[in-house]
Amino acid sequence: MKPWPALLLLPLLVSPLHAADIRFVTWRDTQGYLEPLIADFEAHNPDLKIVRDVGPHSSTEFHDLLAQKFRNRDREMDVFFMDVIWPAEFASAGWALPLDRFFPREAQKKFLPATIRANTYAGAIYGVPLFVDAGLLYYRKDLLQKYKLSPPRTWPELVEQAKTIVAGEKHAGLTGFSGQFKQYEGLVCNMMEYILSNNGDLWDETRLSGALRFPAAQEAARFVRDRIIGEIAHRGVLAYQEPESLALFSEGRAVFHRNWPYAWAEANDAHKSKIAGQVGMTTLPAFPGGSSAAALGGWQLGISRYSRRPELAWHFVEFMTRAETQRRIALQTGRGMAREAVYRDPEVLEKYPQFRMQLAVSMRAVPRPTTPVYVPLSNIMQRYFSTAISARDSDIDRLARHADREMDRVLDLLRPRAAR
Amino acid sequence: MKRADRAAVWFVLPSLFLVALFSIYPICASVRLGFYRTILMLPWLGEKFVGLENYADLATDAVALQSLGVTLLFVGASATMEVLVGAGMALLLNESFRGRGLVRAAVLVPWAIPTVVSSQMWRYIFNYRYGLFNFLVFGRDTSRYIAPLAEPWLARAAIIFADVWKTSSFAALIVLAGLQTIPDELYEAAEVDGAGAWQKLRRITLPLLKPALLLALLFRTIDAFKVFDLVFVMTQGGPADATNVLQFYGYKKIFAEGMIGYGSAIAVGVFLISLALALLYIRLIGARVLEPGAAR
Repeated sequence: MKPWPALLLLPLLVSPLHAADIRFVTWRDTQGYLEPLIADFEAHNPDLKIVRDVGPHSSTEFHDLLAQKFRNRDREMDVFFMDVIWPAEFASAGWALPLDRFFPREAQKKFLPATIRANTYAGAIYGVPLFVDAGLLYYRKDLLQKYKLSPPRTWPELVEQAKTIVAGEKHAGLTGFSGQFKQYEGLVCNMMEYILSNNGDLWDETRLSGALRFPAAQEAARFVRDRIIGEIAHRGVLAYQEPESLALFSEGRAVFHRNWPYAWAEANDAHKSKIAGQVGMTTLPAFPGGSSAAALGGWQLGISRYSRRPELAWHFVEFMTRAETQRRIALQTGRGMAREAVYRDPEVLEKYPQFRMQLAVSMRAVPRPTTPVYVPLSNIMQRYFSTAISARDSDIDRLARHADREMDRVLDLLRPRAAR
Repeated sequence: MKRADRAAVWFVLPSLFLVALFSIYPICASVRLGFYRTILMLPWLGEKFVGLENYADLATDAVALQSLGVTLLFVGASATMEVLVGAGMALLLNESFRGRGLVRAAVLVPWAIPTVVSSQMWRYIFNYRYGLFNFLVFGRDTSRYIAPLAEPWLARAAIIFADVWKTSSFAALIVLAGLQTIPDELYEAAEVDGAGAWQKLRRITLPLLKPALLLALLFRTIDAFKVFDLVFVMTQGGPADATNVLQFYGYKKIFAEGMIGYGSAIAVGVFLISLALALLYIRLIGARVLEPGAAR
């Protein structure tokens, strides 16, 4: 008997015999990797069917959708994508299932340490990392070469280079910079990269207090308002999330672009981009005296506490995050993956040489505040940043002090009972 | 008579039950929740009774006050314009001309589209790169394109405009109904007396239309106060909180931040303001108008 028919029977032996649906809350898969993976999983597990529930692209809106499902104790959700900032909250609220029995320490060691830290709350693990993101600077290689410029190391340098190129090109519609400055979660990522690279911070973790009012943080906000938005970016970026800002860059209408690793493959895809082959990528600039800071982003898979079949759900999560799957996704999409081995894979490195540099950036990427009250903090910060950079004459000092007071009030909830 | 009354009670009972289930119960539940501090992400804090603390916080919450201002602006601008545009539409539709049936049906189309769908449409229209708005204003000169939803005042104008586009026809329906209760004899008598079109409008139509106009204003004001879906789809409260209406702020507090008590206090606030407005209008219109057969 040939071995393969027996292998086909294997899944029948290891999984329960009744057919079951696993409900997976995900986003729209614009890169086309999800469908084949799910088809593969279903082919290996004929008794399981993955039912996809597609949520909004914006992380903020996706969060609100999940929170609503949890609040309703929705049993129709088993597996869900989780942004790197949610595990503390979902764990504290009792919404995400602790996965330690499925995902022991030994298995966790294969992942980038920052991603495991982000998924750990009070000593237990709540998600299995899949994608890891870190902010990167993209630039037009051809344009920088034409003006004999090397990629900027500081933010002021970036502004000057952008101005030189835009003035020299005389191409209507060319702007200097595109990033994500809409009032949403991505705004916090963008702004923290300016603030941290100026030796500032968003909060003081030990004192449980906001840190936006300090000079370094204020200076960074002022720089974004006056020089990035004021001088080199189109004001349209104030309404942009990732797809819109990347589209602008891919159309050849921005010299510099801040985005996550996925933008590399998109901007170099000749079907979607007018600048394929002209794209450069490097670490984000810093302010003089500071060092480059990349926000840590990324997506994990979690299992709902209200899932009726956590074992089967784990079966799917394990498949989606195993080494072979992550390697496959990396090869297809060029996105940063959470397993360290992907960055050493010869085939991946041959196709995406930038993965060497990406690993270094991802290893140093800085997480946003890890706390169960991150969402209210983020809403305060989003409000502050958006107000500070949208109006040309905003009173940044007053706004920052106010934002800090609001953050302090939320953080006070975390203090031990006696101290309150 | 007595027997008819008793029968009437039975006919009213099912809808009374539905009103109790879908309006009165949620209102009472929100009022109760508003007196507690319940934070979903911090379950160990428990459900603590805090009296009026949430309301005291609300009164000093700069974001809530700014949000109230945005909401009032939205309500004032959209309700006024909707009644004006609606009245114009109604006057037109009340005339007899060829194809009137078709025009009447066409006018109702925006109102029949679910708000979420029409909001999505407006979001595309106002998109900076591929929106129709920029093309109509600036033509092919893409370098002058602006992003309406990124500018605080333009974003406010955009959601007001989208609301006027959608619900003016609702106001038109009410005004049209009012127009049709005005007896033709009055106009005939006026014509005999030598009144022109303008005089007929000012001396007959408008005074007799007042109750219908106020009624349209009442419905639109209260409905506009509850605006949520337009903001949810088009701006998510941004840019810089310029379109952060109260209902959206409360939604974010409850569903995103898990602050159940505080969010409920906001909802109760919106309810009380709508209630006050409704009572004010009813006094203004006179309770008589709302009774059956009182329209004339």
